[in-house]
Amino acid sequence: MISSTSRDQNAPTAAPHVTGKYLTFYLGDEEYGLQILKVQEIIGLLPITRVPRTPAFVSGVINLRGRVIPIIDLRRKFGMEVMEPGPRSCVIVVQSGGVHMGLLVDRVSDVADIPAADIAPPPPFGASVRTDFLLGIGKSGSRIRLLLDIDQVLSTDERSDVSALDAAADRGATT
Amino acid sequence: MRIVQEALRPDRDKGARQGALHAAAGAVLEAVKAYTASRKVGRMGILEQPERAILAILRDMVVSSPTLTPRASDHAPEVAPARATPERPVSLTAPRSELPAEADREFLREFAQEAREYLEEAGVALLAVERRPDDAEAARTVLRAFHSIKGTAGFLRLTSIVELTHHAESLLGAALTRAEQVGAERAALALRTVDMLSALVAAAEATLEGAPHLLPAGYAALVAELQAECGEESGGDDEAPGSILLTTAEMTAHPPLSRDLEPATARVQTDRLDKLVDLAGELVIAHWMIAQDPVVVSSAHSAAAKKVAHAGKIVRELHEMSMALRMVPLRSTCRRVARLVRDVARQMGKDVRSEIEGEATELDRNMVEMLADPLMHMVRNAIAHGIESPGERRALGKPEAGLVRLRASHASGQVVVELSDDGRGIQLDAVRRRAVDVGLARPGDILGEAETLEMIFRPGMSTADHLTEVAGRGVGMDVVQRNVQALRGRVEVRTAAGVGTTFTLRVPLTLAVTDGMLVRVGDERFIVPTTNIVLSFRPEAGALSTVVGRGEVARLRDEILPIVRLHRVLEVEGAVEEATAGLLMVVGAGERRAALLVDAILGQQQVVAKSVQRGIGSVPEIAGAAILGDGRVGLILDVAQVIGPARHDGGVPPTERAVA
Repeated sequence: MISSTSRDQNAPTAAPHVTGKYLTFYLGDEEYGLQILKVQEIIGLLPITRVPRTPAFVSGVINLRGRVIPIIDLRRKFGMEVMEPGPRSCVIVVQSGGVHMGLLVDRVSDVADIPAADIAPPPPFGASVRTDFLLGIGKSGSRIRLLLDIDQVLSTDERSDVSALDAAADRGATT
Repeated sequence: MRIVQEALRPDRDKGARQGALHAAAGAVLEAVKAYTASRKVGRMGILEQPERAILAILRDMVVSSPTLTPRASDHAPEVAPARATPERPVSLTAPRSELPAEADREFLREFAQEAREYLEEAGVALLAVERRPDDAEAARTVLRAFHSIKGTAGFLRLTSIVELTHHAESLLGAALTRAEQVGAERAALALRTVDMLSALVAAAEATLEGAPHLLPAGYAALVAELQAECGEESGGDDEAPGSILLTTAEMTAHPPLSRDLEPATARVQTDRLDKLVDLAGELVIAHWMIAQDPVVVSSAHSAAAKKVAHAGKIVRELHEMSMALRMVPLRSTCRRVARLVRDVARQMGKDVRSEIEGEATELDRNMVEMLADPLMHMVRNAIAHGIESPGERRALGKPEAGLVRLRASHASGQVVVELSDDGRGIQLDAVRRRAVDVGLARPGDILGEAETLEMIFRPGMSTADHLTEVAGRGVGMDVVQRNVQALRGRVEVRTAAGVGTTFTLRVPLTLAVTDGMLVRVGDERFIVPTTNIVLSFRPEAGALSTVVGRGEVARLRDEILPIVRLHRVLEVEGAVEEATAGLLMVVGAGERRAALLVDAILGQQQVVAKSVQRGIGSVPEIAGAAILGDGRVGLILDVAQVIGPARHDGGVPPTERAVA
């Protein structure tokens, strides 16, 4: 059980290294954050070439100024409802494990400074839900942002199920 | 300063003066070293010019003094504490090999490069001397190589190299002085010395990566042998007899290597070269995208469009030039083959000579090493299994000396390397028997020549009774084929009983550029490398049949080809499924051939291949990706994987196959 509002003196805070600037973006109604240092650029949708025999969440590859990089559909990766790209869909190019990848998101929000004090470590949900791909949960006011450890997210070939987390996180935030 | 002045006092006799000078120089050397070490000059320890010059002069004085005998105390390792102390596996009579000081890293790197080239020249010359002992010019080439290496090794205080080259000079020089021919024995010993020197150079170079400076095993034994052969003590009073034969001019200057027809060259750091090539490739694409931009295209004859076109010409030429930078001649590999032929022949007690043609043929630098390994293996095979013993050959009326010929050439965008021998040919019956033994064929099977020859590329086919020390090191022709396929090439073999065997390796000029045909399957486009393509045709219904349990096949002239449905392998929807409505592209990988079903062939494309596996996991059927003309990504097929051994079923996964 997450206890009440943020800034509760007794609430555990995340490790200091997660403090900093985050690029926030939306998948549906949920807001996520990526450490800005991992982000290389944001680009619009480019024609995607499908690659056979890859996991469903790999949309394919694109030509980024002569480099061929894979595009990960985060919705599929997180087991969310699959939707066609919308008018504000774009690709966030990140660098992870020495490799460049593009993350397909619904829309990008802004760059936010989130101090460690506002970041709670991911609450334990038991063995059924993996949380190692979260750096923490950023809270400011009633806004919840799921801060992703993008290296963890991209290091596995499996889907990472965040839906359960979102629900619990929403429960945890109160005005 | 005072020490040096003292040493140079005119009233001292020559001998004492030399000795004193030596001691003085040694003292100054130590002082300068201590000074530079304390100043922590630069990241790589590269000295300033004047200091470098002083060090070089001092070294020269210390090392080339005739009274010099290396003393253990001279060689305190001047190294960072992290490095281990040098180890030696043999006796104390061998001088210690010291580690180069921090300041000499660049010297050492250059020395290693140069020494390798000298040693290669010496090797070639020695092979010549072995065959024609009266070839004084070749002998002199070898002497010059040893002498030059000795000089620079002296600068770097690599005493083991200095000592070995000193003895090697004595070995050959003594013979030349007495106007004798360099006998085969001495030439062989000299070749072993060349090998040991290569090992020593490599060991010294390894210290640049932080490895401890190790003396290769067998060093002391070789030195002892050399001394015995020349009857000379190490570090003797005189200069090696060999150097007397060289004129003063030759001794003081480093003579250029025999690069008769080679143009002037420059040394470049390879990572800079690779970056340059990468950028040139991206420039081509970037320019293409400008040229294809609707704004430019719509104003086709405007001044702007003309400028774009002009820039395009320059970009293309730049790209071609950068591709050429990656190319190196196969010369070194060819020379290794020649050397290996000699070594293996001796080992097996056979007489074999080698002929090399086309050593100037160029190949992408990054591919040469991968091509060398299969070649070496095939050379061993040829001599071990192919070439008959001198007695057998005489009885057959063949020349006693067997012939192994290596011919390299360019043909339609590929490098073709032919390795042939005039031995007994591949014993097809032995291969068939072996195939049955290993379970690749059943006892009653009738295997034609082509099928039998294909068998030798399967794993496990090294004929057991030929597992000699030389040939059977657990490496078979299957590894050779895999290596060549990794270079997107093919291996073919032709043989005639009693006449000989020829292996032909074909690889693309460079892995950076793939020449291929663009094909359409459904809405998607793929590139099939030209090197795999045989021909394409639209089949008629009569040529197609299904074989129960083995999938679909097409008949082309006399050949039955399994059909591989690309739309299934590549999981494409909406593609042509009726073979007669599409095209069958006959492809080959190794000895295996199949027909790929595609919707249409869109044309030829030269593309810059890019790796795509990182980030999406491994997809064996895809060799890479490339940027197509319209800026989109096209996937390059790995034909060997697509038509691989499991695919007799048209690409249908086993679980879906209809039960017969």
